[in-house]
Amino acid sequence: MLVMGEVRTGLLQNSGEIPESLCQSVLGLLSGERVRVSRRPIVYAVSPDQLTGVDCRLASASQARVRGVGTVLSRASVTGGRVLQGSSHIQVVRSESDHRLSWSHYLARPGVVEVFGKIRVPDLSEGFAESARNDCLDLGSVSERFMDAVQASPFLDRKAPFRSARTRLRWVAESGPTGSGGAESGPTGSGGAESGPTGSGGAESGRAGGGARTPEGTGIRFTLGRDQVRTLRLVLPGGFSPGIVDFCEDLALHDWLLTTLLVIVEKARVGTASRAEVTAKLAPAVDHLLHLWMPAARLDDAFAPFWETLERRPGFSRQWHSLVERVRDQVAINTLALLRETGGW
Amino acid sequence: MLVFAISDKGGTGRSVTSSNIVYRRALQGSDVCYLDFDFGSPTAGAIFSVSSVARGTTQGGMHGYLEGRLADPHRIDIWAESDREGLRAKPPGAGQMVLFPGDEGGGEFSTVSEEMLQRCVRLFARLEEEFDLCLVDLSAGRSFAAQMALAATARLPGVPFRWLVFHRWTRQHIIAADGLVRGRQGLLAVGVEHGHDKETLGDRIRFVRTAVLEPDAAELEGLRETQKAWLNECDRELRELAGRHRVGRTSMLGKIPLDPVLQWREQLISDEDVLSSQIANAETVAAFDDLAKKIVDDSAWEAL
Ligand SMILES: Nc1ncnc2c1ncn2[C@@H]1O[C@H](COP(=O)(O)OP(=O)(O)O)[C@@H](O)[C@H]1O
Ligand SMILES: [Mg+2]
Repeated sequence: MLVMGEVRTGLLQNSGEIPESLCQSVLGLLSGERVRVSRRPIVYAVSPDQLTGVDCRLASASQARVRGVGTVLSRASVTGGRVLQGSSHIQVVRSESDHRLSWSHYLARPGVVEVFGKIRVPDLSEGFAESARNDCLDLGSVSERFMDAVQASPFLDRKAPFRSARTRLRWVAESGPTGSGGAESGPTGSGGAESGPTGSGGAESGRAGGGARTPEGTGIRFTLGRDQVRTLRLVLPGGFSPGIVDFCEDLALHDWLLTTLLVIVEKARVGTASRAEVTAKLAPAVDHLLHLWMPAARLDDAFAPFWETLERRPGFSRQWHSLVERVRDQVAINTLALLRETGGW
Repeated sequence: MLVFAISDKGGTGRSVTSSNIVYRRALQGSDVCYLDFDFGSPTAGAIFSVSSVARGTTQGGMHGYLEGRLADPHRIDIWAESDREGLRAKPPGAGQMVLFPGDEGGGEFSTVSEEMLQRCVRLFARLEEEFDLCLVDLSAGRSFAAQMALAATARLPGVPFRWLVFHRWTRQHIIAADGLVRGRQGLLAVGVEHGHDKETLGDRIRFVRTAVLEPDAAELEGLRETQKAWLNECDRELRELAGRHRVGRTSMLGKIPLDPVLQWREQLISDEDVLSSQIANAETVAAFDDLAKKIVDDSAWEAL
């Protein structure tokens, strides 16, 4: 199995969170079919699957010319009426033919891209995980197009409460070695620097992330790159399941929340700016972000171990909760101080 | 907010002034970006002191993006990539400062296709999510770039935008600036063609005078009385002319004094250039700073 995808995540361009009914209208723009909504533990709305036909070069680490033909499977989703994601992925398989077939063949296999000739999995997965090349299949820009369509919806007022960058999570999932218990081919290296996603919005180019192996020949490695790019490498037993995509989207969502909150806190200049200014800068986080943290809420149990690994290192929730505490403390202290100054307390 | 910088003539100081406004706005704490839409002469890299893109990028810039050759245009974090040491450390509290350079050897467009326009709309919408201020430096005169900007903003009703028309303080420039806005095929006429309301669009346009030498400036100390009197008379005539052409005080957002540093070199003026090396004038920085505030200050943009 070789599956790769890219999730882009950003703030829905509206002044407040949108109600469930509006999620339908906003995501329904993409096609006639109905939007799926789940309500617990958080409102999550997702567009019907979208197909994009492709016949183009796939990135490969060796720069070999690899041609792929098929369809990209994409969807857009809104979580908590506030966070928008565009997500696209493909399963790469070897073509049984040596020439391009009719489109009906490819349309019957949504999300599958067929490659002519032998597939060298490490070459393709490395190539994809590296930086995007302009002349190769770019799943990120496909995802982004669907986000753009949602953001342009006339139902949104475009008065977002704060500016924020979209993040890019590029992911590759491949099968672990069958039977052998998974020693050699996991893409996990030796664990690397485990300093966690402490960056403030991608200015730093260093690698930081979590890498670890869960027992049964599975592996996960999350890397924080520059320009809002993150890469995720997964090794799984067995074949493709849609749960992989859900997991990657969930991780991307939480990585965006953490990244965005870090930027807001940094800009608030706690300790330097005046109390009123700090509070004003932190307020949008309290109003719009803090309640959205719910890792693994909608995931298949099979993926729980991956989240557990990431929670150990880099420790997403640890960092999130410590930031949230800081935000709440600041707002509380500053409010008290202001009340005292104005004699209201 | 989108801010479009235009001038009727080349060499007015549009790029240098816009770049300095963007820099000042970043120092004031806003997240800003600069889009080089002067496809024929993309000089922003030089002004921001990023020598690798001094004449535009070779890695796919604005021109290539709009033509559809790439999805992600080259993006430069000035605080990280400028060659000027003084710019390479983001001061605490400053916002992001990002340059989207033009393409080396790009050239002006000879038409605007529907696809290009859609790409332009998407780009503006995306950047508006991320930045408080996106300054778009257009080519001089009536260009396809300007037409695209007007068409794109007409399709983005929720995105606030403003126009700055740069001109020098001379007869020719004053008349030309008026013509660029109100003349045949001027901004208002083309804007209306693309669906803008003439009044509303007009209210979103202000003039900026560049490289202005005031008759009472320190530089003119040594002049003879007769020369001073003559200069004063010229200035009075120009003010009258500007008033008649509706380029006068009320529609002016700001003016930038003639600065010796900018006379010699296209660059950002840092506080250091004023305070420690003292090569630039404090008045110049104050004028940039003031303009950077006024661009986003609604009271400076009330209907005329
Ligand atoms: N305030 C100023 N004082 C003196 N020279 C200036 C000033 N503003 C700009 N210049 C100079 O004028 C020339 C043209 O400026 P530039 O920004 O490149 O013009 P444009 O973008 O309008 O073609 C440059 O050499 C620049 O340094
Ligand atoms: Mg210029």
